[in-house]
Amino acid sequence: MKEVNKFKISRLIQAPQALVFDAFTTAEHLARWWGPKGFEIKVVELDLRPGGIFHYRMLGHDGIWWGRFTFIEIAAPNKLVWLNAFADEAGNVVPAPFGSWPLQIRNTVTFERDGKNTLITITAEPIEATDTERDTFEKGFSSMNQGYSGTLDTLEIYLKRLTAGQR
Amino acid sequence: MRRDVFQAIADPTRREIINLLAHKSMNLNAVSDNFDVSRPAISKHIKILTECGLVSIHQQGRERFCTVRLQKLGEVSQWLEQYRSFWNERLDDLESYLGVLQTRKRKTTARKKRKS
Repeated sequence: MKEVNKFKISRLIQAPQALVFDAFTTAEHLARWWGPKGFEIKVVELDLRPGGIFHYRMLGHDGIWWGRFTFIEIAAPNKLVWLNAFADEAGNVVPAPFGSWPLQIRNTVTFERDGKNTLITITAEPIEATDTERDTFEKGFSSMNQGYSGTLDTLEIYLKRLTAGQR
Repeated sequence: MRRDVFQAIADPTRREIINLLAHKSMNLNAVSDNFDVSRPAISKHIKILTECGLVSIHQQGRERFCTVRLQKLGEVSQWLEQYRSFWNERLDDLESYLGVLQTRKRKTTARKKRKS
């Protein structure tokens, strides 16, 4: 019973760690692979810092859905934590447009280097955010310091990729 | 406030309560005895669990018994299954996308090398 809400999945991907991390955190990459099967993704906003959001539109056969990430922890290129939810056009969290689905899911992804490959491990759980928790979250995470370190990490990866491309 | 099975299981104490009640129905006092937190706190959790449809309470003489409604937990395993296939599909797409991306990059690099 304790395990009822535990979700874990792993995959060894044939790509370097920095590139895989990038694929999870940049708009151009996310638009190419994120989102349910048969849906076309359009990025509305991507603000990569703790407390920042990734807001996207999913265009499918049956209509349009929106989704959002709220980034919690950005430790490039090793770890990424975000809350995932369905959203409205304005980016507010809304219940799933179908059946029984958690309002928000906390996804924790670790990226481990394995030679030239990267082992991705995803754990997820439905979460309940009370008003108090939300306040704590906003106070604790939106400090300039953390925001900058996230941005600098990304910049670093971007620069690495540029350098790799030139080689 | 939203009440669904996912909210019911989002809290560790509530998961423990469900675990306890899954073995046998108990009255409120018996449930509380298993925890260090106060009885009102346990009452509150049980109230949420009933609102989420996971626990039902029935009067038996002077006592109120809590019973877990296990069929409701089926929604959780259903979600886990759907979420697993969602991630499997995403990782398939990620894998092939990064594969194509790297092949393209290798080709470009090779072409540049030939030119120089």
